[in-house]
Amino acid sequence: MLIDFRFKAIDLVRDSINLGLRPLEYVMQLPRNLITASDTYFTTRSTLANENIELKQRQMELTLLANQSELLRVENQNLRQLLNLQKEVAYKTIPVEILYNPSNPISQRVVIDRGAEDGLKLGNPIASDSGILGQVVRLYAGSAEVSLLEDRDFAVPVQVARNGLRAAVFGTGRGNLLELRYLPVASDLEVGDVLLTSGIDGTYPPGFAVAMITRIERNIDKNTANVFCAPVAGINSHRQALALLYDPQWDAKPSEGTSENTPGRRKTRIRGMP
Amino acid sequence: MIDFQSGYILRPVNPVFIFVSLFCALLLNLLPLGNHAWVPDWLIICIVFWNIHQHRYVGVVWASLLGLVMDVHNSDLLGLHAFSYALVAYLAVAWHRRISALQVYAQALHVLPIFMLVSVFPVLVHWLLTGSMYWWGLGGVLQGIIEAALWPLATKLLLAPQRRPIDVDPNRPL
Repeated sequence: MLIDFRFKAIDLVRDSINLGLRPLEYVMQLPRNLITASDTYFTTRSTLANENIELKQRQMELTLLANQSELLRVENQNLRQLLNLQKEVAYKTIPVEILYNPSNPISQRVVIDRGAEDGLKLGNPIASDSGILGQVVRLYAGSAEVSLLEDRDFAVPVQVARNGLRAAVFGTGRGNLLELRYLPVASDLEVGDVLLTSGIDGTYPPGFAVAMITRIERNIDKNTANVFCAPVAGINSHRQALALLYDPQWDAKPSEGTSENTPGRRKTRIRGMP
Repeated sequence: MIDFQSGYILRPVNPVFIFVSLFCALLLNLLPLGNHAWVPDWLIICIVFWNIHQHRYVGVVWASLLGLVMDVHNSDLLGLHAFSYALVAYLAVAWHRRISALQVYAQALHVLPIFMLVSVFPVLVHWLLTGSMYWWGLGGVLQGIIEAALWPLATKLLLAPQRRPIDVDPNRPL
């Protein structure tokens, strides 16, 4: 136990047990999968038709947006080049399916069906269509464990969409609201503000919605504000999600050559508003 | 072995049945029921049952090996369940004479602290390692109570093959 906690030296044992366990887990997930599958199979024709109409409308809107965004992207790249700023990093996404939520009183994790073989890396963010869900914390060959936003002391660097104020959102454990920590009383925050990833850590791409502020308690005596926010993406209500294979050339870790590049990241484009 | 409930002598146990039951309990634990503190840990019920009734077949070693598998499934520190299962298996083997001589509901009361120890153990270890306490993790106490409540059912199921009558009259089966 201690060896695992301190040195992470026995991953081989874990990998081999996991390999043997995977087919058993698959078999035991079959009943649930069958139930959900039959549930979707027996949806009525009218629901499907309505859904189809909605999806078509949505697709039209998105196509329009996508055409515009292509123009904006090119313009943005050109402007960045003119201003000598760092280029936006393009990244791939792969669809992942959430297999199960391991019963573990200490952490809030899910296991997904893609792993190192699909190009996933440790630290890759996982997002749903509306926002960030979590981050890959342990990799196997064909699966991975994802720590959710709710996980205690899970931190995401964010920016308030309205005014660009930077902060860090922390998880506070299962079922609790997220918390914005280390902010002075006078910070310009309002209930309803949307928090986007700021991208300064090199883990999350900038501009993804993370949470929305729901309650602010200003504590003037201690000059601190307790800010609580709710995650934008329904953290425990998804089966499908996207893994973002985001790998910027620069990194939050100290290494040579990054120090002169990093300040250029301050101007980030806001994208993916819900 | 004597069944203290009825006073009859039980049939000898079939080792294949022991390991099939352990495997089934492991499979039940793999069901995707979500991260709820109260969902009973079927495997530990089965392990403790066989520790008490057949400690020559299922002892501390089997308990810790199965615990290792649960560690991987639950993405815990490797060895957390292995250690707690082994600890509890030791307790169960040490108490097996006293517990097996009791009525089944008294037995349930005796295994209650054992199950509670398993449920609360991860929280305690995390407390020792990092110094922060997860109060809601103590909901595991509820899990222990549910597991103890399932004890009579487990006894009924797992002892059923041994309680079969030895000579059955084919003409008058009852």
